[in-house]
Amino acid sequence: MSAIFPKWTNRLPAWICAGGLLASAGVTAGVWYYFTPKYTRVGYQPIQPVAFSHAVHVDQVGLDCRYCHNAVEKSWYSNIPSSSTCMNCHSQVLKDDPRLALVRESAQTGRPIPWVQIHRLPDFVYFNHSVHVNRGVSCVECHGQINQMDEVSEVQPLSMYFCLNCHRHPAGFVRPLDKITDLNWKWSDNPATAAELQRLNGEKIVRDWKIQSLQTCSACHR
Amino acid sequence: MKTMPSPATPTGTGRSYWRSLDELADTPEFRQWAEREFPSGATELADPVSRRHFVKIMSASFALAGFGLTGCRRPVSNILPFAKAPEDYIHGVPKYYATAMPTRGGAVPLVVKSSDGRPTKVEGNALHPDSNGATDRLAQASVLDLYDPDRAMRFKKNGEVVQRPAALDFLSGLSRQAQANGGQGLCFLLERNTSPSRARLQKLISDRFPKARWFLHEPVDFDIHREAATLAFGKPVRPYHRLDQAKRIVALDCDFLGAEDDLLRFIRDYARGRKIAAPDKAQSEDLINRLYVVESLMTLTGANADHRLRVAPSVVLSVAAALAAEIVKEGGGEFRAALARFGQPAGVDPKWISECAQDLRAHAGNCVVLAGQRQPLAVHLLAHAMNVALGNVGKTVVFHDAPAPEEGSVADLAAVLNAGEVATLVILGGNPVYTAPVELDWAATQRKAKQVVRLGAYEDETFPGSDWHLPRLHYLESWGDARTSDGSLVAIQPLVEPLFDGLTELEVLARLAGFEQSGAYEIVRETFRGLAGGGEDNWKRFLFNGFQEGSAAAAVEVAFSWTAANRALQSAKPPPPAADKLEVVFHRDYKVDDGRFNNNGWLQELPDPITKIAWENVVLLSPATFQKFGLVSQTRGGGATETPLVKLALAGREIIGPAWPQPGLADNTIGLALGYGRTRSGRVGSGAGYDAYRLRTREAAHFASGATLTPTGAVHPVVTTQHHWVMEGRPEVREANLAQYFEHPNFALGMREEPPPITQPLYPNPFDKAKAKGVHQWGMAIDLNSCVGCETCVVACQSENNIPIVGKDQVGRGREMHWLRIERFYTGGPTDPQVALQPLPCQHCEAAPCENVCPVMATSHDDEGLNLMVYNRCVGTRYCSNNCPYKVRRFNFLDYNKRPLDQLKGPFYSSPLVHSTDGEWDLARWWRDFNGSNRPAEEWELLKLVKNPDVTVRMRGVMEKCTYCVQRIQQAEIAQKVKARDSGNIEVPDGTFKTACQQACPAEAIVFGNVQDPQSRVSQLKAQQRNYQLLDFLGTKPRTTYLARVRNPNPRMPDYQPAPNSWREYVDKHGDPTAHLSEIEESAAGAPASAEGKEGRP
Repeated sequence: MSAIFPKWTNRLPAWICAGGLLASAGVTAGVWYYFTPKYTRVGYQPIQPVAFSHAVHVDQVGLDCRYCHNAVEKSWYSNIPSSSTCMNCHSQVLKDDPRLALVRESAQTGRPIPWVQIHRLPDFVYFNHSVHVNRGVSCVECHGQINQMDEVSEVQPLSMYFCLNCHRHPAGFVRPLDKITDLNWKWSDNPATAAELQRLNGEKIVRDWKIQSLQTCSACHR
Repeated sequence: MKTMPSPATPTGTGRSYWRSLDELADTPEFRQWAEREFPSGATELADPVSRRHFVKIMSASFALAGFGLTGCRRPVSNILPFAKAPEDYIHGVPKYYATAMPTRGGAVPLVVKSSDGRPTKVEGNALHPDSNGATDRLAQASVLDLYDPDRAMRFKKNGEVVQRPAALDFLSGLSRQAQANGGQGLCFLLERNTSPSRARLQKLISDRFPKARWFLHEPVDFDIHREAATLAFGKPVRPYHRLDQAKRIVALDCDFLGAEDDLLRFIRDYARGRKIAAPDKAQSEDLINRLYVVESLMTLTGANADHRLRVAPSVVLSVAAALAAEIVKEGGGEFRAALARFGQPAGVDPKWISECAQDLRAHAGNCVVLAGQRQPLAVHLLAHAMNVALGNVGKTVVFHDAPAPEEGSVADLAAVLNAGEVATLVILGGNPVYTAPVELDWAATQRKAKQVVRLGAYEDETFPGSDWHLPRLHYLESWGDARTSDGSLVAIQPLVEPLFDGLTELEVLARLAGFEQSGAYEIVRETFRGLAGGGEDNWKRFLFNGFQEGSAAAAVEVAFSWTAANRALQSAKPPPPAADKLEVVFHRDYKVDDGRFNNNGWLQELPDPITKIAWENVVLLSPATFQKFGLVSQTRGGGATETPLVKLALAGREIIGPAWPQPGLADNTIGLALGYGRTRSGRVGSGAGYDAYRLRTREAAHFASGATLTPTGAVHPVVTTQHHWVMEGRPEVREANLAQYFEHPNFALGMREEPPPITQPLYPNPFDKAKAKGVHQWGMAIDLNSCVGCETCVVACQSENNIPIVGKDQVGRGREMHWLRIERFYTGGPTDPQVALQPLPCQHCEAAPCENVCPVMATSHDDEGLNLMVYNRCVGTRYCSNNCPYKVRRFNFLDYNKRPLDQLKGPFYSSPLVHSTDGEWDLARWWRDFNGSNRPAEEWELLKLVKNPDVTVRMRGVMEKCTYCVQRIQQAEIAQKVKARDSGNIEVPDGTFKTACQQACPAEAIVFGNVQDPQSRVSQLKAQQRNYQLLDFLGTKPRTTYLARVRNPNPRMPDYQPAPNSWREYVDKHGDPTAHLSEIEESAAGAPASAEGKEGRP
């Protein structure tokens, strides 16, 4: 009878407990670290209904962001252009291209194009585009080099940590107002010089424009 | 969670500063409201489901959750831009359009906010020459009616849905028929309004169909003002009062601050006369106006009175006659002799009348006498006679042309109906089956017409007796026009396409007149062309401004006709001598009006400004009369008040309603509010309260004598908020008489609590350092001398901040969510108390007690002085609310925003755990879609539309409170920064924006702004010596401060008291408030708070 359970099994419960504890600690730590926007959101690149390329329109054609996203300086919301905006050019350019079939159809029928949302903030965050782009924060800071993307993907986590990083150190991110929508612009091509210039000019801009380092809850939550 | 008894709470008897009779008697029920953070029961899960049951169900749910992992996939959401963007439309930027809300005798000029195409907030039109950009409470709440799921939405014939074209064809058919027979048998029943377009169409129809007949019914009518003026002056005029010019005001049963038409202007002008800039002794008693009120009910006007005489409603006439006899000394001849017939009013001190008259004579030319809508013609004529004798005409009261309406009354129509002469009855608006005089038996009388066509906003009591029912459009979705009381032409333009099928009154009339192609727009345009000339620019400016410039009526010269007044006096009956006969008064309700706002949840939940009762009406009795009948009411532990039901009989008709003792009411007088007890109203209003119309006849439409009252022995739960959020009887309202104020302009500082204030906190307040970073320091000043307690701010706050309605049962438990409450205190005895009113929002303390106790930092300060509430951090411990000395925090005990409307009236809110909706268990519905709602789909979809998109909609389990309208502050700051760009000019100029309560306040009592800027309006008010902090001994340093109230009683009056009752109570408890004023001033000057310069002020 005594041979059924060898002696080492006496320690089995303790091992199981210890192992269980370790595993659950690992799972908790893993979730805590990896289930954050930095890992769950960055890189999100859904297929859009129309193969619209920002790279072609901005870098090759040279359109300004605000040609299509014209409300960005006026509203909290940066609008997705209406189909009729697309047709301003595409009634002349590539007017029969099959890739634009959905746009033409939308402009004719009035049915909207169902773009897939990529950058998304929770409902309790009241982010305002206009106050950022009018006060020295470029599109590139949150959206990345969207001017070089064929298919848009999310570059930054857009988490509260990400927001606060800039709100704590605005001098590291602000730039002259005429360079807001120039996503390729840098203070200098030399990274070291650029960083130094950002520091010097950033501090001056923050001082002169009275840029606030808003970290109170009411800045974003109401 | 019992609070520690405050060392500062003096107990003992002799209380003269109270909110309710319970408090006066200091009953145990009252004590528990005062001592507990929330009343007993408010914080317990009192549903019929036990915690154990709850845990059982939830563990089953969690087990199920393990299988699916349905929440782990990223939900794909789409952005749907316009295919073709509308011109000038920017998503996220609200638009504002000028329009107006029509009322009976005027209109409220408005500017309405449209958020992405849906009207969400109503504001006043400050451009209008006779508006200060404020509104009244009904206009504030009217936006909710647009989204009422109980609105009439379909055309119906005999109760069956028909299509719109069929209904229009029918109207055209009627028109052709009338064309053929000249309108024989065609009768119209209208509501009163001031639309020039309607008048034009009426005339067109009369010209085309000369035999058509017009009638008008208005259950609460203000036309008597016009009628009396026309009679008195022998030409068609109506009075227009300018209270801001009057130093002495006498209101003869005239509730001009609460229940007359044109409240907005009356409150504004009255409050302007009460403003104090400095203790200018040279003006002595004329620094502010003085209000004498003669009334039977306890009204808002009475609550604001400096001298109030309570008499039975029928005695008002003899008071007016006695007053007139003192004032009209010359001329009049027989008129003066006629006055003697009325004798001295019974039970009234003659000195009251003679001294009041003396005061008026001393202010001849800048005083005014007002007669109320309830009083008979004779009282109005006496008021006119007094105004003429005092030389007020042309100064405090002017007269405008007002042609006499040609419509017959509803009784005339009944006679015609009974004679069988009506082929087609067209009812445009109104609800005659509910509101018509009871002896007409309108439901049956109406059926005597061969066919009844009815335009109505609801399928209400009149609906079953109508053959055709046409849904009426809300004013926010229709074209129209109106005239404000000053005669200005205002535009009513739609903010949104009609949400449902419907017609406006103008469209129906136009169709009947035979204009098949005319929409309401063309009609209004055409009328405007006739009134103000053509021209596109002219029209566009009219729509943009919302009114036609220079269209205000000119004052006309009038001469008083003593003979006409004499004739009216001769025919007036002196009051019956019997003093103990019960007299019934029917009054316009402060909230639901004559019943038209009955289904409006905001108004139903709004506590009545005087009784503080929500969700129904009660039978008001004076405390003495209440006792005389042996009635007793009992406050249930933490719930509603068990109120005795009484049977009230008048001329053979009976109603049953809950009796309520109302301090200050005249003895043997019974107040019955109209507008409740509806049988077919909607999910919110149906069945709330009793129906006072069932006693109301045409002869005795306003008051009647000879009622009998019998207790039934049954009780009924009534919910009142008068005990809620009590601050232990500390001196909240500080008030003094004018003479005392002249002597000690800073008396309010002396009325602080004992023991002496703690001046030095143990630790430095982190905010003192943080506020150096803020560009602005926001603060608020509330002038108690201007506030009349009308509660417009409460509704405005509810509308702006997405505050849910919680229902009767929840209000009874002390769970109402209003961020801003109006405290109503009685001082003195219950027979004839003084009333003090005080708006109480979050005080935004600099050293906020709530912040110290929050374990998750969900409430904290920003560097501009706002005490913030971060909903997504809040875990619902409610410690903050327990620690708040002002009791301004509100907790979402349930998911009020998802609760079906028809459950709001109770009796008990059933938990989602045991309740099923549409045959499906609520918990299962929630599991399927946790963002969904237990509300039926149409309710859910409609009520979402009224929400302000700039404010988070809170869910169950989070605390909330006044935010100083942080969304408006942020929008203003952002707009300023966008404008500043690289200039660094980011300070928001004073007056750029207003908080919702400030913007809505007709009395201009609330001022908000940057207290760091010494030039701002709020700083200037706070610099006044009347400025005081609530509970200043706690050292919380609130940013909201109050300007103490100054009463202006007449020292020569028999009821004069040298100090207000609250002052006397203070003296009894704490000694003379003026004794230590100089010490307090010195210590304030030397305190570290003010060492920081301008920061010291708040």
